[in-house]
Amino acid sequence: MRVTRTDSHVALGEWPHPEQAALLEGAGALLAWDVLAASAFPAAQVYDPVRASQWLWEIYGPDAATELLSGAESVNPPLNSSPVRDACRRLAQLTWIEAWWPASTVAAVPAIDPVVLKAELALATAAIDHLLDDENATTRALTLATRLPDANTLAAQLNELADTHGVTLPEPVTAPSQSNFALAAAGPSQRSGLTILSGASPIDWSAVPAGAVDAAATAEWLITRRDGSTFLEVTVLPGPTPTHLLARFDDVDLALDRVDNLGRLTGQTPIPATLLLSTHRTLTIHAPGFAPPTPQPDPDRPTRQAALIAYAKARTQATNATTTERQAGTQ
Amino acid sequence: MVADAVGATLPRGLLIAEAWSRLDAVAPLANASGRPLARTVKLILDPLVLRPVLNPRFAAGAVDVAHAEELRDRIIAAGPVLAATAAWFLLVKKRRRRAGITEGNPQDLYFQRCFELATAHGAPDSDPASAVTADDLLAEVHVRSGPTVAGLRDYVSDPVTIRELLRLLDVAWTTVSDVPPDDGSELPDRFLATCVTNPNTALFADLITDRTGSRDGANLRLPGVAHAEGLTDREVPGPPELGAAASKNALPKPFDRSIVQRLFVPLTDTRRAELADVADLVHREITRSAGPWQLADETSRVTMTLGRTAAAGLVATPAPGAAAQLRARWEREAFVHRARRLPTEGVHADVHGVRTAYLRRLWVRLHGRELTGGTVAAIEVWDLLDGVLRSVILDQRDRLRTALERLGQCG
Repeated sequence: MRVTRTDSHVALGEWPHPEQAALLEGAGALLAWDVLAASAFPAAQVYDPVRASQWLWEIYGPDAATELLSGAESVNPPLNSSPVRDACRRLAQLTWIEAWWPASTVAAVPAIDPVVLKAELALATAAIDHLLDDENATTRALTLATRLPDANTLAAQLNELADTHGVTLPEPVTAPSQSNFALAAAGPSQRSGLTILSGASPIDWSAVPAGAVDAAATAEWLITRRDGSTFLEVTVLPGPTPTHLLARFDDVDLALDRVDNLGRLTGQTPIPATLLLSTHRTLTIHAPGFAPPTPQPDPDRPTRQAALIAYAKARTQATNATTTERQAGTQ
Repeated sequence: MVADAVGATLPRGLLIAEAWSRLDAVAPLANASGRPLARTVKLILDPLVLRPVLNPRFAAGAVDVAHAEELRDRIIAAGPVLAATAAWFLLVKKRRRRAGITEGNPQDLYFQRCFELATAHGAPDSDPASAVTADDLLAEVHVRSGPTVAGLRDYVSDPVTIRELLRLLDVAWTTVSDVPPDDGSELPDRFLATCVTNPNTALFADLITDRTGSRDGANLRLPGVAHAEGLTDREVPGPPELGAAASKNALPKPFDRSIVQRLFVPLTDTRRAELADVADLVHREITRSAGPWQLADETSRVTMTLGRTAAAGLVATPAPGAAAQLRARWEREAFVHRARRLPTEGVHADVHGVRTAYLRRLWVRLHGRELTGGTVAAIEVWDLLDGVLRSVILDQRDRLRTALERLGQCG
């Protein structure tokens, strides 16, 4: 693995794209596993060598860790088993799941249960509390967790952990599911008229919160003529936790404030007929208050998203899967 | 730095982990990956077993190989006491559950006391006497001693007292200190340049004798200065009110807090037994409020000046050392935000808000330390400066998470 040095930190390995980064915030160093790469070793950014040296030997082995911090241009960590590295990988994986799990009915990637995820996150955090940047990380993770409904091992472990940290776990609140997510202006689709142009664009996941859209679906647009007017219509298939979305097509903004009879979020707006002449037919979707509309299309997006969807699907059956992933697979 | 020490040193964390793995029956003090908990190291191994203050050879992150065996031996020799500590901790937790106590973090509250019990009595046994000992420990820790919020309210609402307190406030604020304002001392920059890896104790002592903190703090009385630092909403800070009510939420900015508001949070803490009595607390708070930085101790004031200097690097080109490290933490947060898929809209425009939130948080930490009689040592400065930014950033993440949940619910 290659080592590079800047004024502020020592970097090891290839830093992954944020959407495929399983991140760990260690004391004095940030680690990131690329979920699409099979490497046992994470890339690292070491910004406080003294703090990081206390535990980096658990990740890369004592020799490679020392070399990394003493000026080597590359290091070759030996593939020894390390329970602590495995535990770090586990927390990093759960952090990735929380952010990027691509639930999709189109691609048959089952949704994860956030209650199980939060419980597992708290336990995985506690398992390596000695090397994390935040010394109160376990308490912080516990305050985001709720009591588990079933009396199983995970529940018992969580209760014990909460007890040791003096945290009282609240009962879980039932999250709004797709079926009871009511939009203010819900109503049947108004589509009619003559379709003149249509197309679809991949959705930038980073512009919407986790679970807001079906990860495998594209955003579709239609330009129609009806009663002498021109209309733009946009539809998006929501994910397990829908939220308000806005669409931008060329320079037209519209809210996806209706649900059509296929359960898709949809919006419609009259447009000047001149928009038909536009060659800039890019549709972007974003959640207001979450992210601004993505200015530039990313040519790598379709490939990356397809790879992450395939990865998530495989994870539900993987032997080393987290409980969160396995349980999603049994739903 | 580790770089100079190849072959001659070993990471302290590695030596501790090795020694720890040879101990029996210490699982309650360890995490699921078999390493001692962060708080086991911080509250037990460091202060009670390794004692780096008495044994400076164990103090640094890199331990000379010549002392490695001694460090391991010391931990292994403590094995039986640690096992007994673990057993006491389990028993105390059990009795705590039985007594229905939920306040405070059990590790913070009981680890050191369990070690004391283990040292004095060995392991607890099944006879009822051990349970009684554990109950005594709980009673002692959770005793409702120390000053209370109710006591504070009573004290500041007594008409006779009020007159006297207002007089004291008036005196304190009309005889505001005579320190000449700062003329641009270079000492803070010099200390900050090396405090991350190699804090200069002599330089820190110079900062104290020079009264750099007081002189810098004197500038805050000039119009607009304390306001720009986010410490007050007023153009010029004025004497605080005595106040009557307070709540943990929606506290005004530090210099705008009433005397009651300044004392409220410390009085609701589990450690309030360490505080002085109400009258004393109020009198000292009045004096403190009129001091530079509205703090009493010169080490606190110097630390505020160091924090102010270092945090300036969040919004301007940072100097190498502490300022650059703080800036790097903030910049790293942009990637962490993206990788954790947190809301990005408007977050990074708020770096000025982060800088002022930083100074407010630092002030609250230092104020809290003063109330329990703590000062700041040179070797603690960087942990404090870095820890405050971490805490501000993590709170920002919590706020973003909450905003995200609201975003989901508004559907």
